[in-house]
Amino acid sequence: MIANAVGFETLVKREMVRTFSIINQVIWPPVIQTLLYVFVFGFGLGSRFNNNVNGVPYAQFLIPGLIMLQLIDQTYSESSSSVFQGRFMNSIQELLIAPLSAIEMVLGYVVAGVVRAIFIALLITGLGALLVHAYPTNWGLYLLTIVLVAVLFSSLGIIFGLMAEKFDHIAVLTTFFITPLVFVGGVFTSLQMLPPVLQKISLVNPMFYMIDVFRNSYIGTGDVSLWLSLSVVTLLAAAAFAVALALTAAGYKLRT
Amino acid sequence: MNGAVPALHIDRLVKRYGDFTAVDGISFDVAEGEFFGLLGPNGAGKTTTINAIVGLAHITSGAISLFGYDTVRDWRTARRQVGLAPQEYNFDRYLNIRDVLIFQAGYYGIRGKAVERRADMLLERFDLASKAKLVYTKLSGGMKRRLTLARALIHEPRLVILDEPTAGVDVELRLELWSMLRELNTKGTTIILTTHYLEEAEELCDRIGIIQAGKLVALEATQKLIGDGSLQDVFLELTRR
Repeated sequence: MIANAVGFETLVKREMVRTFSIINQVIWPPVIQTLLYVFVFGFGLGSRFNNNVNGVPYAQFLIPGLIMLQLIDQTYSESSSSVFQGRFMNSIQELLIAPLSAIEMVLGYVVAGVVRAIFIALLITGLGALLVHAYPTNWGLYLLTIVLVAVLFSSLGIIFGLMAEKFDHIAVLTTFFITPLVFVGGVFTSLQMLPPVLQKISLVNPMFYMIDVFRNSYIGTGDVSLWLSLSVVTLLAAAAFAVALALTAAGYKLRT
Repeated sequence: MNGAVPALHIDRLVKRYGDFTAVDGISFDVAEGEFFGLLGPNGAGKTTTINAIVGLAHITSGAISLFGYDTVRDWRTARRQVGLAPQEYNFDRYLNIRDVLIFQAGYYGIRGKAVERRADMLLERFDLASKAKLVYTKLSGGMKRRLTLARALIHEPRLVILDEPTAGVDVELRLELWSMLRELNTKGTTIILTTHYLEEAEELCDRIGIIQAGKLVALEATQKLIGDGSLQDVFLELTRR
């Protein structure tokens, strides 16, 4: 599958160089925003829920949702802007003329997205542990969910990075779909806290399953079956990866 | 591989964009070690031909091989044979210029101390060593032009394609680049050059092909093509619309 392993590793390394050269855009904002959410929502509003949601204090309930919120946003933003910028500046031609296959290119961007996601998640996890004593109880599930979600949103980033004609187009998915769906997908609330109609609507929101399965890695329980949530996230990740790969292999907006 | 295999073999290449035919059935060979000029007016199909050779453009029909390797069937091996110095400065803005070279080698599957030494040697050769830690945006136009050439050479290709390598550079740098290109060719690297400076092609190229409206309208040894006249006269005659 990967015949040019050095080429693939070089692309991953290049993406990491990019990430750390714009650290104030990529790494610190999720940490600062999480801090603010914890203070405003966790500490400020937590007492309104008698400090107990799904068996844990509200501030602890909040942490896994906030990690997902930041992971989804950063993973999509970074891979889409990297691909789009490469197209816009034509620097992506360095990859296109090299003996790199479509799978090596897509995996390069996706694996970099996964590494970036794990790094951001660990930083916020540390913050959660420090501030509200929230720790993952199932590290395997914690890591698996981060990987699946990062694959999904890195792949979506590649897809939109390829399709976009200007930077503004990249923001369409974030503004109109990702942010609203994540916010109503259970970052701040448990399914049981919602009215019945909204509970039903939540079940067709894919973000709900990502947040639910990740929260499961923290509190050991979720609003729906763990296997259902994992299946939904895995299927979406596989589908997005397949589309990103197909577009790259076809040279969509890459080769004339 | 033996000496009879051409560095580049193009067989009835056609490239269409919708109804527009950018390259219309051209065929030619470039021998190993040759310095070949590909000339033509703007929009004639030179860059499209180059893009088809290096894999930036899908071929509508026909075939291209590099040192006997088909660019579609044996694309990985074919791409390793060629280095491209494009006209525009499309460097990675997040890397310093030494890393631009090292990462480019990495994409070609090469890494390690040997690549680092080659990057340092190329930076030295192209008088860029003192700028090694800078990003390309900090370089002058002439330096960027030299970096383009250094990047094309980092993976030691047997064929280098130069798309207007001296566009926009002053006379002094142009002469310096000519000297570098001659040296490269003398050492055995096959070179394909596109340029709008006809005196450049006349000075450097063993053989010249002229493209007009996607068709190859001339393919001759430089001196034979010019005859008693000048390349400018021949070029204008052949490309008059």
